[in-house]
Amino acid sequence: MNKVLLGRYLPGSSFIHRLDPRSKLILSFYFIIIIFLANNWLTYLFMFAVVAGCILLAKIKLSFFWKGVQPLIWLILFTVVLQILFSRGGTVYWQWGPFSLTQTGIISGIYVFFRFVLIIFMSTLLTLTTPPLEIAGALESLLKPLKKIHFPVYEVSLMLSIALRFVPTLLDEATKIMNAQRSRGVNFDTGSLRQRLHAVVPLLIPLFVSAFNRAEDLATAMEARGYHGGEGRTKYRVNQWRLRDTLSMFAFLLVTVIMFLLRTW
Amino acid sequence: MDLSINFKNVTYIYQPATPFAHRALSDVSFSIPEHSYTAVIGHTGSGKSTLIQHLNGLLRPTSGELTVNDQLITTTTTNKELVKLRRQVGVVFQFPEAQLFEETVLKDIAFAPKNFGATPAEAEKIARKTAELVQLPASVLEQSPFELSGGQMRRVAIAGILAMQPQILVLDEPTAGLDPRGHQEIMELFAQLKQQQDLTVILVTHQMDDVALYADQVIVLEEGKIMAQQTPRKLFSRPEWLHKHHLDLPHAAKLAFAIQQQSNFKFKELPLTEDQLADQLAKWLPKEGSSN
Ligand SMILES: Nc1ncnc2c1ncn2[C@@H]1O[C@H](COP(=O)(O)OP(=O)(O)O)[C@@H](O)[C@H]1O
Ligand SMILES: [Mg+2]
Repeated sequence: MNKVLLGRYLPGSSFIHRLDPRSKLILSFYFIIIIFLANNWLTYLFMFAVVAGCILLAKIKLSFFWKGVQPLIWLILFTVVLQILFSRGGTVYWQWGPFSLTQTGIISGIYVFFRFVLIIFMSTLLTLTTPPLEIAGALESLLKPLKKIHFPVYEVSLMLSIALRFVPTLLDEATKIMNAQRSRGVNFDTGSLRQRLHAVVPLLIPLFVSAFNRAEDLATAMEARGYHGGEGRTKYRVNQWRLRDTLSMFAFLLVTVIMFLLRTW
Repeated sequence: MDLSINFKNVTYIYQPATPFAHRALSDVSFSIPEHSYTAVIGHTGSGKSTLIQHLNGLLRPTSGELTVNDQLITTTTTNKELVKLRRQVGVVFQFPEAQLFEETVLKDIAFAPKNFGATPAEAEKIARKTAELVQLPASVLEQSPFELSGGQMRRVAIAGILAMQPQILVLDEPTAGLDPRGHQEIMELFAQLKQQQDLTVILVTHQMDDVALYADQVIVLEEGKIMAQQTPRKLFSRPEWLHKHHLDLPHAAKLAFAIQQQSNFKFKELPLTEDQLADQLAKWLPKEGSSN
């Protein structure tokens, strides 16, 4: 249960840690967009170099990022295989009905794999260096203009921060309940699909009950402390846009320019 | 069969090889003889819950090994190999009401026996008997467990474990949050069961009065290490040592020490329970009817 690294914060004081969460959020999204500019080996290599640079700046061991990929490896491989089997072009090595193995297919399969890895590395970097609540706060701050069209920015960000806050709590709770039911002879690990689905009921019901209880307690606690919605509420932690944030923006602009140059190499 | 428990150099690390790695048990070795009553004490976070989750193999040692009921548990033991052990070791977790899920109280109590191979009829019979044992009124048996009071939910959850008819009963702060009367009734129930069925009981507790009343031996944990393993009498006769490790004395012993300090009375033997205290004081106080 605790093996999932995506979404965990690793305290530190590196350059990346000290960036404003808003600029980290913007740059991560921006990076994901410019990945789609990559169209040849050189551009992918360059993207990896950029990620490697960021990771170096964050002073986090590379092994953490591989751990972030591991839980998603089956999804990635599945997509890669689809990409390989259904793409056409170049030399045909093998064909069977709608499926084929072609040069283009293999290359685009490899590209898809790289894209996944790059996106996972970058989002892992964001969550490893930014506390979840600051991500939610940054999102709120960035979405503020949408208030003009009556989008409930504050409520959405509150929902997001509460959800993020309770992910580890619910995982802990799930582990505890699984242990209690294992002790009562439930077998979560083996058996037919039907048996396994059956085994999930004694886990899910207590988990829902506990989540509803928690939600009720939280609502009571918030009301008891005078919560009355987002209007006029001040913030304890105020984000500050600094020189390093502006510099990072320029660095990524430079990356974009280089990408355009490398595309037509 | 050998029903004793042996830990050999057990170390347990949560999330090893990550920056969140946390060593919850370090090089723990001890044994617990069969049919004994062992109390495990120590501060919050000292590793008590981690320790007892090894007893039915929910956690496997990061290094070292243990045997429980002749079953060897090492780093590589699988859940499959532990099925037999799990029915012999009943674990009542901290706040066990979190495990309730069935539509009715009776079904929830019958859940474990059914999983361990009893027929529905047998399981129901055991469940009814166990419900009576933990003093649940017959009127609640067909109710949803979620409609009950906190104290009754606790009894249902405990009955759900007792219904497995385990040989080793592991209790992790089983009465935390109960009122004093509920606490006493449940602790008495465990003591009685141990007598009648010759169980081995392992109790995690913060209440020194329970240690004094029920336990044959005490294990003191601190930061994942064993600080002491001895009889309650030996442990409580070292108030300075207890003080140094921020542990309390049973109420009777505390009072006895206070009396000794403020009078010239000397207790022959440190009283650990209210009864022992009362006995010794009664001999000292002037007899009723005698002249003064
Ligand atoms: N699932 C877990 N992941 C990481 N650390 C844990 C986990 N469970 C417990 N710990 C840590 O291990 C230590 C021992 O915990 P625990 O055995 O629950 O102590 P106790 O029951 O004595 O209060 C504590 O410092 C706790 O924070
Ligand atoms: Mg505990």
